[in-house]
Amino acid sequence: MEFRILRYIAPLAAVVLLLNACTKEVHIDIPGFEEKLVIDGHIETNQPPIVLISKSKEVYAPTDIDAFLSGFISDAVVTMSDGTNSVQLDVICSGNLPPGTEEAAAAMLGIPADQLANYNICAYTTLDPNFWGEVGKSYTLTVSYEGQTYTATTLISQPTPLNKVFWKPESGLTDHGYSWAELSDPPNQFDAYFWEVKRLNGPDSDPNFAPTYSPATDDEFFDGLTFEFWYENPFGDEMEDSVKWMYALGDSVVIKISKIDRDVYEFYEKKYMQLQTAGNPFASPTSIPSNFDNGALGVWAGFSPSFDTLICQP
Amino acid sequence: MKNILLILTLLFTQLLYSQEEFTLSGYVSDGRSGETMIGAKVYVPSVKKGVITNNYGFYSLTLPKGTYQVEYRVSGFETKIKTVTLESDVRLDVEIGTDLQNLEEVVVKGKAEDNVKSTNIGTIELDIDEIKTLPAFMGEVDIIKTIQLLPGVSSASEGGQGFYVRGGGPDQNLVLVDEAVVYNASHLFGFFSVFNADAVKSVNLIKGGMPANYGGRMSSVLEVSMNEGNAKHFKVKGGIGAISSRLTLEGPIKKDKGSFIISARRTYIDVIMKAAINKDSPFAGTSYYFYDFNAKANYKLGEKDRIYLAGYYGRDEFSYGNKNDDFNVKMPWGNGVASLRWNHLFSSKLFLNTTVTYSNYQFKFGSEQDQFRFQINSGIEDWGGKMDFTYFAGARHKLKWGAQYTYHTFTPIGVSAESDDVVFDTGLAQQLKSHESAVYVLDEFDLTENIRFNAGLRYSMFQHVGPFTRYIKGDLSKPDSTITYGKNELIKMYDGLEPRFSARFMLRDKSSIKAGYSYNYQYVHLTSLSAVSLPTDIWYPTTSIAQPQKGWQGSVGYFRNFKENMFETSVEVYYKGMQNLIEYKQGALPSDNVNDNTDNLLTFGKGRSFGIEFFIKKTRGKFTGWIGYTLAKTDRTFINLNDGKTFPAKYDRRHDLSIVLSYKPNKRWVFSSAFIYATGNTLTLPSAWYVQGQDLLFDYEARNSTRMPPYHRLDLSATWYSKEYKEVINPATGEKMQVKKKLKFNWAFSIYNVYNRANPYFLYIDNDGDFLEGTFKISVKQVTLFPVIPSVTWNFEF
Repeated sequence: MEFRILRYIAPLAAVVLLLNACTKEVHIDIPGFEEKLVIDGHIETNQPPIVLISKSKEVYAPTDIDAFLSGFISDAVVTMSDGTNSVQLDVICSGNLPPGTEEAAAAMLGIPADQLANYNICAYTTLDPNFWGEVGKSYTLTVSYEGQTYTATTLISQPTPLNKVFWKPESGLTDHGYSWAELSDPPNQFDAYFWEVKRLNGPDSDPNFAPTYSPATDDEFFDGLTFEFWYENPFGDEMEDSVKWMYALGDSVVIKISKIDRDVYEFYEKKYMQLQTAGNPFASPTSIPSNFDNGALGVWAGFSPSFDTLICQP
Repeated sequence: MKNILLILTLLFTQLLYSQEEFTLSGYVSDGRSGETMIGAKVYVPSVKKGVITNNYGFYSLTLPKGTYQVEYRVSGFETKIKTVTLESDVRLDVEIGTDLQNLEEVVVKGKAEDNVKSTNIGTIELDIDEIKTLPAFMGEVDIIKTIQLLPGVSSASEGGQGFYVRGGGPDQNLVLVDEAVVYNASHLFGFFSVFNADAVKSVNLIKGGMPANYGGRMSSVLEVSMNEGNAKHFKVKGGIGAISSRLTLEGPIKKDKGSFIISARRTYIDVIMKAAINKDSPFAGTSYYFYDFNAKANYKLGEKDRIYLAGYYGRDEFSYGNKNDDFNVKMPWGNGVASLRWNHLFSSKLFLNTTVTYSNYQFKFGSEQDQFRFQINSGIEDWGGKMDFTYFAGARHKLKWGAQYTYHTFTPIGVSAESDDVVFDTGLAQQLKSHESAVYVLDEFDLTENIRFNAGLRYSMFQHVGPFTRYIKGDLSKPDSTITYGKNELIKMYDGLEPRFSARFMLRDKSSIKAGYSYNYQYVHLTSLSAVSLPTDIWYPTTSIAQPQKGWQGSVGYFRNFKENMFETSVEVYYKGMQNLIEYKQGALPSDNVNDNTDNLLTFGKGRSFGIEFFIKKTRGKFTGWIGYTLAKTDRTFINLNDGKTFPAKYDRRHDLSIVLSYKPNKRWVFSSAFIYATGNTLTLPSAWYVQGQDLLFDYEARNSTRMPPYHRLDLSATWYSKEYKEVINPATGEKMQVKKKLKFNWAFSIYNVYNRANPYFLYIDNDGDFLEGTFKISVKQVTLFPVIPSVTWNFEF
C-alpha cells in the first residue's frame, strides 16, 4: 500500500549522517507568522457533526497547555447545510456537557475525563438527528468569525466494506503478526480509505480508535482490484523490537475502514506525510492543504465507515 | 545584424591579405609522458603574436614569411624556444620536458598574460597538481570542492556536491568529461565527486560569457579532460586513503604513437560501517560503497589523424538486509559515459574534431518484505554526436563552427509493485524521447592591437517525440484521461537563437576590460523534491507543459596583473535573468509521479541574480594561492508559490569568501590551507503550529524566509614528498652521481574543519515533552555533519 520512496530512503540515508552528525538547539528568526483560524470538523454516518475552532500559534509562542485548551473559540457562528436544509450548530463546552457524554468528549480531545471540567473547551454540534451523517449526502460547513466567513464541503461516500479480515503470525513467529484484510476496490472511480483500529482486550481496551502510521490511501494503484494487504498495530510502539507494531495472539481488534472524499484524502495524506517527515532533510516541507476557503487551516471531513472485528487467531 | 555584417567583412578582408603568409602548426606535448598539453602558449615575441593550444594540444599560427624565435610556454615548465624559418607551411610538434616544480625557485614566467589578454570572461582553469596539494575531505582529492572555492561558485551545503554558479541551479551546469555529459557528478548523496583526480588532466570552468560551441545549460560549463596515458613508459600510480584506495595503470600502446590509461577507485565505507554499527542497531545490515572506473586510449593514425576512446563507469551501492524482519532493500545508482573522438587536420589551418558520445545515469530502488515486492527506477540515456571545425585564419583570427545532436531517452520514473500474484497498477513506465540539436559559428579576432572580439551565434532546437502518454488529470466531476502519441510522432518543438559575445579592451600592457553577453536555452531540467540533492532527483525534458529554461547573462570585468604576472587580479560584475525555471507545485509528493506525467506536478517561474566578484591570485613563489570574494543576490518569482511573492533562492548567499594559500618551503614539503566563509543558506521552516485531531501540525508560510547561521571552516594540509633522486657511486669512475628513484611517493595529511565549527547542514523544528504535563516545547534544531576530521593518504608512483 506504500509507494513513498522517501519513507525508505530517509532512514537509510540517515545512516550516513549517523556516523558523524550532531544536533543542537539554535535560535534563529522565522519570519512570516500570520495568525489563522483552525477549523477541525468531522461528520460520520449516523453521527452528529463536531467542529472545534482555534487559532494557529507562532512557532516560538509559549506552549502553555492551559492557555491552549482554554483558547477554543466559542463565539463563532457555525452553520451546516446538507444541500437542502441548514442548521446552526450549538456550542457545547466542557464545563456544561450533557450527562453521559464526558467519556466520549474526553476521548475525542485526548485528555482525561476528570480534567475536562478544568478547561473551557468548546465544540459546535447539533443534537438534531436530521443533521447527522447520511451516506450519499454532501455537507457544507460555514464558519463566521470576526467578520470573515470560511466554507468547506465534504461528502459521505458509499462505504466499501472489507471482504474479510484475518490475522496470521509473521514468519518465524508464532504469537505475533499484523492484521490482514482483503479489499475489492470499486472500479473506475476515485476511492480513498482511512484506516483506524482499537483493541478490545478487557481492561487493556484502547479508549478510542487510532489511525495507523499511514492511515490514508487512495486507489490510484489498485483501482478495481481485489487484493490482500496488512496494516500494523498503531498501539504497538512500546512492544519489543522483534514484535513491534504487531498484534499478539488472542488480541481482539475492531477495524474501522472509512471512505473519504478526494479533498479530505489530500488533507490526511499530507498531514501524515508531514508527521512522518518532520526534521528530515531529504523531504521537502509538506504543506497541508485545507478544504476551507479564505485561508483557514484544518479540515471538514466526512467519514463513511465500515466496521469489522478481528480476533487474532490463526 | 549590422554588427554581424561588419564582422564578416573584416573576416573576408583578413583572408585576402593572408596570401604572403605561412602557417606554423603542430602539437605541444609533455616530454616526460607524451601527453598533449592543453592551453600551452605559443608566442613569437618579435611580432608580439601568439596562440594557445586547443583541447587536443594543437596550435596553428600564421605569420608573414621570415625567421622567428618561437616560445612554447606552459605553466610550471621551462619555456622552450625554437627557431623557425617560414618559407612554406611548417609542422612542428614540440615536447616540453623539464619539470620546474621540483626546483627551489621558479625562474621562468609561467602562463603568459592569458587572463588579461584573452577574451575569456568568467573562465577559470585549474591546475590539477595544485588541486592535489590542497586540503582534502577525508583525504579524497575533489575537483568540484576546489571549484567551490572560486568566486561566483558556491556549494550546496556542508560537504555537498551540487554547485551553484552565479545564482543558477545545479542543473544549469554543463558537466563534460571528454565531451560527454555527466548528469550526476557526485557519489554518496553528494559528499564526493565522481572525478578521480588521478585520471584528470585538466579542469576548466566557464561561468560567464559561454562561447557558442557550448550550450544546453544556462549557467556554466565544467569541462574535465581525462589523462591520455603515458606514451613513453609504463607507469603505475595510486593512493591508499582513509576511506578509499586508487590505482592507475598507464603506458604506451606503441611508443609515441598511442597510449592508454586505466584508473579505478573503490571506497571501503561498507567495511567501516560494518564495524561501526552495532549488531542490535536498527541500521545493522546496512551497507554502502562506491566505485568508479576510468579508461582512455588514444592512437595517432598518422600526421593528420588521431583517435581517442574514453569511458567512465561509476556506481554507488546501498543495500539493507535484515534476516529478522525479512526486509531488504537494494539501491544502486551511477553514471556510465563513453566518447569516441577523431581529430583530423585538413590542413595546417583547419582542424576537425568529431565526437560520438554516450551518457547514462540510472537510479534503481528495490525492496522486498514478505510477499510484497516493490521497484522504482529512473534515469536518462543520451546518444550524441558532434563535429567541431576550427579554422586558424591568422595569428589574430580564429573561426569555429560546428553541429551537435543528442538523442535523449528520459525515464523519470518506472514503478512496479506486487503482492503475491496481484500486480498493482502503477501505470506505464514513463519514458520520454527527444532530439536536441544545435549549429553554431563563432569568430575570435583582433579588431585592433588592443581590441579583441569573440562573437558567436548558436541555433538550437528541441523536439519531444513519441511514443508518449499524456495524462490529463480529472477532478470529482471528470475522470482522468490520457492521450497517446505514436513512435517518432512530433509532440512539441522549440527552437531559438542564442547570441554570444565577448570582448577585451587592453588598457595598458597589464590590464584590460572585458565584457560578455550570452543568451542560452536549456532543454533538460532537474526536478528535486528535497532540500538536499538526492539520487532520486529526476531529470526531465522540455515538453508541451515544461518549456525550455532560457536566460541571459551580462558581465563586465577589469583584469590587471602585477609583477610580471606574479599577481593576477580581477573584478567582475554580472547580472543574470532566467525564465521558465522549474519547481514542484506546493505539496507534491514523490508518489504523485506514478500514474502521471512529472510535468503535471511542476510549476514555472522566473529568477534573477546579480553580484560582484573579486579575485586575487599569486601564481609563483614559495607562497601561492588566491582570495575570492563574492557579494551576490539571487531570487525567484513563481506565480503558484509563496503567493506569487518573490522569494530568495535556497542558495542565495550575500557573502562568499574563500582564502586558499599554499606554502612550499622546499621541494619536500607543501603546506596548504583553505578558509571559507559563506552566508547561510535559506530554508523554509514553519512559522506557526496548530492542533488537528490531537496532532500537532505546522503551517509553512513564507518560502525560504529563514536563513541558517553562517558557514565557515578552515582546512589545513601538509604533503611530504619522497626524494626523487638517490646518490650512487659510479663503478666506472668512482664518482658520486644522482640516479632517479623508481618509486616516488608522498604522504598527504589533511585536517578538515580545524577549529571544529558546528556548521549547519539543515535545521528542523522539533517538539519535545508532554502537552498535558506542561513540559511541551517547540524548538529549532541544527544538524551538523562533520566535526574536525583528520586524514592521511599515501600516494605512490613508479
